[in-house]
Amino acid sequence: MKGSLLRIQAVAWSTLMEALRQKVLWVLALFAVIMIASSIYFADFTFEREFKFIKDVGSASISVLGLLTAMIGAAQLIPTEIERRTIYTTMSKPVFRFEFLLGKYFGLLSLITLMVLGMSVIFFGVVLVHEQIYVAEITAGAAAADWSPEQVRMVEDILEQSRDFGMVQAILLLWARLALVESIALLLSTVATSSIFIIFASVVIYIIGHLQSVAREAWAEVMTENWMLGAFSAVIAWLVPNFQSFSIIDEILAGETISWAYVSQIFSYSVFYTLIVLLASGLIFEEREL
Amino acid sequence: MTDHPNSAVRAKGLSKKYKLEWTRRSLIALEPLDLNIQEGSVFGLLGPNGSGKSTTMKLLLGLIKPTEGEAHIFGYPAGSMAARKTIGFLPENPYFPHYLTGAEFLNYCGRLCGLSGSDLKKKIDQLLERVSMTEAGHRRLKTYSKGMLQRIGLAQALIHDPKLLILDEPTSGVDPQGSRFIRDLMIDLKSEGRTIIFSSHLLEQVEAVSDEVVILDRGRKLEEGPLSDLLTLPGKIEIEAAGSEAVPLEEIQKVLEKEGMKDVVVRHPRISLEEYFIRKVKNEKKAKKG
Repeated sequence: MKGSLLRIQAVAWSTLMEALRQKVLWVLALFAVIMIASSIYFADFTFEREFKFIKDVGSASISVLGLLTAMIGAAQLIPTEIERRTIYTTMSKPVFRFEFLLGKYFGLLSLITLMVLGMSVIFFGVVLVHEQIYVAEITAGAAAADWSPEQVRMVEDILEQSRDFGMVQAILLLWARLALVESIALLLSTVATSSIFIIFASVVIYIIGHLQSVAREAWAEVMTENWMLGAFSAVIAWLVPNFQSFSIIDEILAGETISWAYVSQIFSYSVFYTLIVLLASGLIFEEREL
Repeated sequence: MTDHPNSAVRAKGLSKKYKLEWTRRSLIALEPLDLNIQEGSVFGLLGPNGSGKSTTMKLLLGLIKPTEGEAHIFGYPAGSMAARKTIGFLPENPYFPHYLTGAEFLNYCGRLCGLSGSDLKKKIDQLLERVSMTEAGHRRLKTYSKGMLQRIGLAQALIHDPKLLILDEPTSGVDPQGSRFIRDLMIDLKSEGRTIIFSSHLLEQVEAVSDEVVILDRGRKLEEGPLSDLLTLPGKIEIEAAGSEAVPLEEIQKVLEKEGMKDVVVRHPRISLEEYFIRKVKNEKKAKKG
């Protein structure tokens, strides 16, 4: 067990080093530019609208940049190793194939985690700066003890908007979604040889996953009328993960309060599905000719 | 375990066919091959491109599965963890992770083999010294020449002290000095009791280090046996003597012909062009140092 963990760790370390030395983390600089530019551009809004806007831009940017990294990165994990023949060196060592696969997965996931953490720090930094600017404008240099009730109420409103811990829930769920998307792209990369095909197929599965609820309803309705169509809907409904359940992120961003219990439920669903996909990837990769 | 206690490698009817996509035809990469390679011997795999040398090596490593037949490495099924623990492999035209330094690459390989801590560090230092790469160990692999890559490749193959080395074209694309270095290293490794299987296009090198060879062509075994048997010309003798240059060669020739020998050729022995080149470069280096 310990040996297995060491081997997974070694492959993960090598995968992360490759990404870091190819300067993938420069994407954080891009994120910082997006955040700062958008917050400056929309500085004429009221603070409610401005914070809402910063949150929307922040979560959308984390989501898009994360998805690009997960899909493009995972699509290259196995095909590039085979194409470069670096896989021969690794797999000739006493390493189980599933250890190699998990090492690759966790290496890329470490990169995604670093990116999400980095982007979160930038995001909260931008929010904090704006919070301080608004508070300073309202209180205009007066000591806290001298604030009028109106100023106190306004500062409380600002802090409520800026220190919204729902964003932590949103970022956690965004991360879980990225981990799931990465596992799906990895599964495809154990079967296919073309990175472009893997990226394309991952996008298609991602879109289908968002239409899950439609497929489930269709399955329930159509099953009674046309069994073939019903079976097709069932396959989609049960094989493709339900990305629609992550729509809770939008509700959090809209300002709704979501319980941690519900967030944990979605998070657990994501982890469970990821494990199933990784297991399937392992079984397929075990039989693959290198 | 096998009933051949001194067998390093034993293969019986080992074959590989690839099904051609979109057709019913298949490509024979290796016709049923029997091998029995003795522990401590150097075994050369000869043959033109596409003859099945790399396929044989991949089958022994478990990188691909045989269509029929089986192979055992020191009694363990080829491809099993137990078998791979005994093998060090150098792939053809090795594409190692170019973003790592030589020492980091050896560290990665060592960790895959279950080594860690000070033992691993000591081993890395020893191996870098053994392949004359101590100074280049901190440089990234992308800055290495072909010869340096082959040497670091040999070092990674030796990281877990394997009993069997499988080297696919170890001197391919390497200059004569580098090639000689690898040849000498192989002779050293043999003297340590290791078994070596290697393929090479440089027949002179194969002749210099191999005990036995197998000649493959289009996936079929043409010949197999000890070099001493294959290369000895029956009905001819060779006389080698050290002495004065003043000895009249014609006289010796006449004496031998008088004794009834035919096709007598008496001449001063020649060294190979490779040997001449190595000596010349060595002398030049000595002169510069002096």
